[in-house]
Amino acid sequence: MIGLLQNLVDAASLGSLYALAALGVGLLFGILRLVNFAHGDFISIGAYALIVPSFEVTAQLFIGTWSWWLMIPTITLIVVIVALISDALVFRPLRRASAPTLMIASFAVSYVIQTGILLVYGARPKAANLWAGLDTPLMVGDVRVPLLQVITIVATLVLMAALTLFLKRTRYGTMMRAAAEDFRMAQYLGVRGDFVIGLAFAISGVLATAVSLLYLSQTGTLSPTMGVPLALFAFVATVIGGMGSLLGAVVGGFVVGVVVIMLQAYLPADLRAFRDAFAFTFVILILLVRPSGIIRTRALVERV
Amino acid sequence: MLEINDIHVTYGRLRALKGVSLSVRQGEIVCLIGPNGAGKSTTLAAVAGGVVPHRGTIVLDGKPLAAGRPEQTARLGLSLVPEGRHVFGTLTVAENLRVATYMRRDRAAVAADYERVLNLFPRLKERIGSPGGRLSGGEQQMLVIARALLTRPRLLLVDEPSLGLAPKIVDQVYEILLAARKAEGLTLLINEQSSHRILKHADRVYVIRNGHIRLHDDAAKLADGEAIKRAYFGFGDEPAAADEPEEEAA
Repeated sequence: MIGLLQNLVDAASLGSLYALAALGVGLLFGILRLVNFAHGDFISIGAYALIVPSFEVTAQLFIGTWSWWLMIPTITLIVVIVALISDALVFRPLRRASAPTLMIASFAVSYVIQTGILLVYGARPKAANLWAGLDTPLMVGDVRVPLLQVITIVATLVLMAALTLFLKRTRYGTMMRAAAEDFRMAQYLGVRGDFVIGLAFAISGVLATAVSLLYLSQTGTLSPTMGVPLALFAFVATVIGGMGSLLGAVVGGFVVGVVVIMLQAYLPADLRAFRDAFAFTFVILILLVRPSGIIRTRALVERV
Repeated sequence: MLEINDIHVTYGRLRALKGVSLSVRQGEIVCLIGPNGAGKSTTLAAVAGGVVPHRGTIVLDGKPLAAGRPEQTARLGLSLVPEGRHVFGTLTVAENLRVATYMRRDRAAVAADYERVLNLFPRLKERIGSPGGRLSGGEQQMLVIARALLTRPRLLLVDEPSLGLAPKIVDQVYEILLAARKAEGLTLLINEQSSHRILKHADRVYVIRNGHIRLHDDAAKLADGEAIKRAYFGFGDEPAAADEPEEEAA
């Protein structure tokens, strides 16, 4: 019983990260029909921005040593700027391109960012100790809950609530929802397309930053491709949640988190190495039962 | 007010418009009639900036419109109500209406317009909090017209307002359009597939078929419908560009 509770806390924490990453992917997909595989590299940028550029194995924190209230906005700003630049240089010239073209362009952005990191920081993974004080466990009954996991879950809930309020209660949020549903119609009503898309990139940059800080403080390791599996799982989460639905992205993120942790915990030891194969098998099963994802939207069908 | 000069639009290999010219004067109701696939919607979309003509110019109030910039065109006082009622289904009626006002800077006037437009559409007032997708077809048509009015257009383009609606509802839609025109001093350019209703209201009529304007005259002179029928179906004495290969239009 205690083991199960422990696993559930782990699942919620990992699911939070996937859900945040999936929201960043889902937001851009909703507005631009862009499946942004570079989202994982936005996450890597956020982590690498914390440290001093060097080829050393042990990372020297630079911005990472600042107080959190200064560090978080600075890192967020850096990631948002990278996201906006990739929009301006790559995706804006492709506004009239098809969805597959956009996706392939996002692979290109992904490789450019990875290579950039490689040039500046070297190829070897680095150890970095961000927020070392946060792995002290809290005992809730007999369950050991690392403080960091609590922070991850709480930060995710706060970000989701903030995003929901933004989308539902502000004029820019309303514009984004309108554009996500019918981009051309929103333009006919005077909503500036490039502005809304830029806003979506900026928000996905904010979400990516949250993932990079939380993920780095959990794993303590940096590598130029660290964001790739996160982007992959985020993409899978948006697919099983239902492409085009933000709620679906969140649900999908948590489902993937639960599946991965439970497989890790309960698969026979010999098979654990193949955990991801089992996880993706599960994803295929979900898609066989609900081909359009857990939360269905009209957004995909209605696009003419 | 609006001058369309010889515009050509191509979708891939399909030539949708092969040189369409059309003009709308201040205060007029102009109707563009044509069969399905003739190029009516494409003409209106080109004016609103939704599709880019590869040849020809569109001039509003003496200034050429930037092609393919719908947000700009909307700011110049030209609003399109596209075919098929593009309601934002997950947004409430109120939110649907508000989206149209976000580009406007005259906040005080927006509030007054909002009240006035809702008074024109009492049914929308009752359903102000419902998601747009839950409205009936007629209500959705009302909503998209109300929404377009809130951009404060001087020229309103309406693409097939009667499509898929019961005749009684269509009458209501036209009543609303005419009332709105009177109240707001609107100029109207309306697309329809059939002429019988529009001939009563229009000042001038254009008939389009296969990407060409086939006929253009005052509505009063076309009242018997014979000339329209000939142009519409492409038989009779009119010098059609018959050498053009007929294309299947979407």
